[in-house]
Amino acid sequence: MGNCLKTSSSSDDISLLRGNDGVNSSYNETQQALNHQVEQYQRVFHPTSTSTPSIIRQQEHLTENEDHVKLAKRIGLMQHLPFGTYDGSSKKARECVICMAEFCVDETVRYLPCMHIYHVHCIDDWLMRSLTCPSCLEPVDAALLTSYETT
Amino acid sequence: MSELQSSLLLKKQLAELNKNPVEGFSAGLIDENDIFRWEVLIIGPPDTLYEGGFFKAHLYFPKEYPLRPPRMKFVTEIWHPNIEKNGDVCISILHEPGDDKWGYEKASERWLPVHTVETILISVISMLADPNDESPANVDAAKEWRESYTDFKRKVARCVRKSQEECS
Repeated sequence: MGNCLKTSSSSDDISLLRGNDGVNSSYNETQQALNHQVEQYQRVFHPTSTSTPSIIRQQEHLTENEDHVKLAKRIGLMQHLPFGTYDGSSKKARECVICMAEFCVDETVRYLPCMHIYHVHCIDDWLMRSLTCPSCLEPVDAALLTSYETT
Repeated sequence: MSELQSSLLLKKQLAELNKNPVEGFSAGLIDENDIFRWEVLIIGPPDTLYEGGFFKAHLYFPKEYPLRPPRMKFVTEIWHPNIEKNGDVCISILHEPGDDKWGYEKASERWLPVHTVETILISVISMLADPNDESPANVDAAKEWRESYTDFKRKVARCVRKSQEECS
């Protein structure tokens, strides 16, 4: 499987975090996790002979012309979105508007910069297609970059 | 989103629409064993040229719904600038999501995973009332709508009559 990603992802990923010096200490750790995740997604995009039929089916429908650099950037960015455990205390969001299922206590949820919350697996699948909050259409990457620049 | 989750979400919507029908259309499945293929009957919206018509359409959901949009096709003949002659509906909210860096202002017009059968049909019904002249799917209908509205009206009226005969 291609290693071409690793070089490009490292420089691109860090370029998203300009102005944030604190990130360097945890850089290696993050990078390892990132590489792992890129590989996971690569497997989806470029299934090898070991891929299951369901993964091949998934691959057929993924966005075309999605190049590796863009993919790595995107995953890097998504990793900086906070997540947490749903504790049932939120009065506002009771259900994930993507799958229309109610949040259960202890489920992992992701917070977008606009503070809308979704199941991690629901929103991550969507962000791989479009970096926009499905509820308010706030662009996720621009919002993130702005917050990094101002802090 | 697995196929199981997609079908659960669609089943939920079908149950909800059966329980609390929405004005302007009725919805069901083409084949009751296939939750991914729906048949809807749209009532021509009042105070429009389509008033009085009953237009049947099919919705084909991908297994990745709601991450990807369904396709919609009118089965009843219909004359409209944004509906192809073969019935395919061309409406921006059914266009695949993308991340055009410079196109954020248009994100709201494209597919979003929060769209349901109900919100799709509400958009389609409003499109019937208010055609979008900018990107016509049926160029002849669009040209007629702009330049010879009387002919356009006559063609739509014929579709409305035909739809009533097919439904009775």
